[in-house]
Amino acid sequence: MSVVARMTGRLLRNGLPGLIALLVGIALFEFVQPVVIASFGGAGELTAIMQRIPPALQAFARARPEFLALSGLAGYLSLGFTHPLYILLAGATVVGFTARSLAGEMDRGIIQIPLARPISRPVVYAARLLGVAIICAILAVTGPAGMIAGILFARPEGEFAFQHLAAVAINSLALFWAIAGLSLWGSAAATSAGRVIAWSLSLLVVSYFIDYFASIWRPLQSIVFLSIFTYYDPTQALVTGALDRQAVVILAIVGTVAAIAGAVVFTQRDLPA
Amino acid sequence: MSQDLAAIATTNLTKRYGGVTALDGIDLSVPRGVTYGFLGPNGAGKTTTIRLLMGFIRPTAGSARIDGHDCWRDGVRARADLGYLVPAEALYPDMTGEALLAYVGALSGKPITLRDALLDALELSRRDLRRRLNTYSKGMKQKLALTAAMQTNPSLLILDEPTDGLDPLIQRAFESVLADLHGHGTTIFMSSHDLAEVERTCERVAIIRDGRIAAEETIGDLKALRRRIAEITFAGPAPEHLAEIPGVHLVRRDGNRLTLSVEGGIAPLLRYLASRDDVADLLLAPPRLEEIFLDYYDMTPGPSGGGDGTPGAAVAVPLKVHRP
Repeated sequence: MSVVARMTGRLLRNGLPGLIALLVGIALFEFVQPVVIASFGGAGELTAIMQRIPPALQAFARARPEFLALSGLAGYLSLGFTHPLYILLAGATVVGFTARSLAGEMDRGIIQIPLARPISRPVVYAARLLGVAIICAILAVTGPAGMIAGILFARPEGEFAFQHLAAVAINSLALFWAIAGLSLWGSAAATSAGRVIAWSLSLLVVSYFIDYFASIWRPLQSIVFLSIFTYYDPTQALVTGALDRQAVVILAIVGTVAAIAGAVVFTQRDLPA
Repeated sequence: MSQDLAAIATTNLTKRYGGVTALDGIDLSVPRGVTYGFLGPNGAGKTTTIRLLMGFIRPTAGSARIDGHDCWRDGVRARADLGYLVPAEALYPDMTGEALLAYVGALSGKPITLRDALLDALELSRRDLRRRLNTYSKGMKQKLALTAAMQTNPSLLILDEPTDGLDPLIQRAFESVLADLHGHGTTIFMSSHDLAEVERTCERVAIIRDGRIAAEETIGDLKALRRRIAEITFAGPAPEHLAEIPGVHLVRRDGNRLTLSVEGGIAPLLRYLASRDDVADLLLAPPRLEEIFLDYYDMTPGPSGGGDGTPGAAVAVPLKVHRP
């Protein structure tokens, strides 16, 4: 087994119970979506409810009620992927791993274990990058898998193309990769896991709210391109099965550039005492 | 010694943190195969030096080399055959001892040849190894960390406070392990607060003070330079003119007993005493590393002071040296 794979395996095993708990939470959250829709009597009943919600709250759905009404079951199910709780759980999973595996290990001195051996810093960093890439991939399929289970269990009324979940998974993977790159960069520069978590989650919240408020407050539309959530559209993906390739590429570039910046920082910095 | 032949060589090694100078241009040369003690109190720069050698931090100026490889720029090669004692608190708490040793061994990329012998010597049982590290005491973690550092029989060991947390019996067992490794040609570079242990274990020492090397000698040479304390009891009145002997200074007169400090060779004093027939008792205390160390730090209380900042300025008096 290569050194990178061995280190990645160790990092994934470290904190595994927490990781599994978050993944189960995400799967359950998506499982519940079709169950809830079925309990309301299907997509038609939900349309009436959505139209009674104030526009500011409708913005959380990141899609107009009229569009959701037209898009039927798929449109309502996509709310499970735009919901703040889903974003928070997925973001916490990614940020938690990057913070723990780099800044946390530097803070506690654990990173000395590989760095005292004939292993370069880029290789040590690559193990973290591989670990977070695996987590992103698992996260990207966990939500759709939970939703499939929920649909098969509750069988809500309406048409749904299961293959459209692949587009959602790819768009989600790109979003998680961008979050991973940014938080890995922060983790490479920070001295404690707590700071990375605070920094990364603050960035996510600000980014989320720029995207959210831009839909209800026009002045923000000039800077909405700065929000990574602008490039995340699971509703479109789930309803039409079409993937916005440009958005996916932008998220992939953000994640990759940030990860490279993190590598540069990590290879040049002093380890904390 | 040529720096090319040295296991460890530093040249003008300097580390500053903002306006604070932690290391100020130190030059060290640790020959291959020696056991080398690195002494100094907290904050003197010991750990900073070790972190620079390990490539954990970047020098502000100068360089550190291991086997001729720059520790920062060519760290992988510098650490190719090196065992480093990771602090006991910096181990994965969720791992078992067995898993940690296997993991560290695999990362080293060298065959594990000494594990069983080390576990036996340090009295870490196989049953202990099957437990998670979060159930270990500090001493057990230290034994495990020592085993992890040495299990591949590296040619160079860098140990920062290796006996911290070990009980005296295990300390002696560890010293025996070091002696065995030394006998097989391993270079050992260790810092320690336990000066008696360094005296027993090391051939050469460097004393670091305020980020600078205050002394660097073999222990034998350091002792030879050191003033000895001679306590002489005479059958009758003690003579008045002993202090006229070259290198001899009177420290205390107590009836028939004189306490002298002797600088340089002891022969002139012995010749003088041999010429007399009223010497009832002679006690010559060998200089101890702890006294030498304290001299360099001006910590020795004595009749003529110390505290002037000049290494070796204080006159030594017998100290309560902790020796098992």
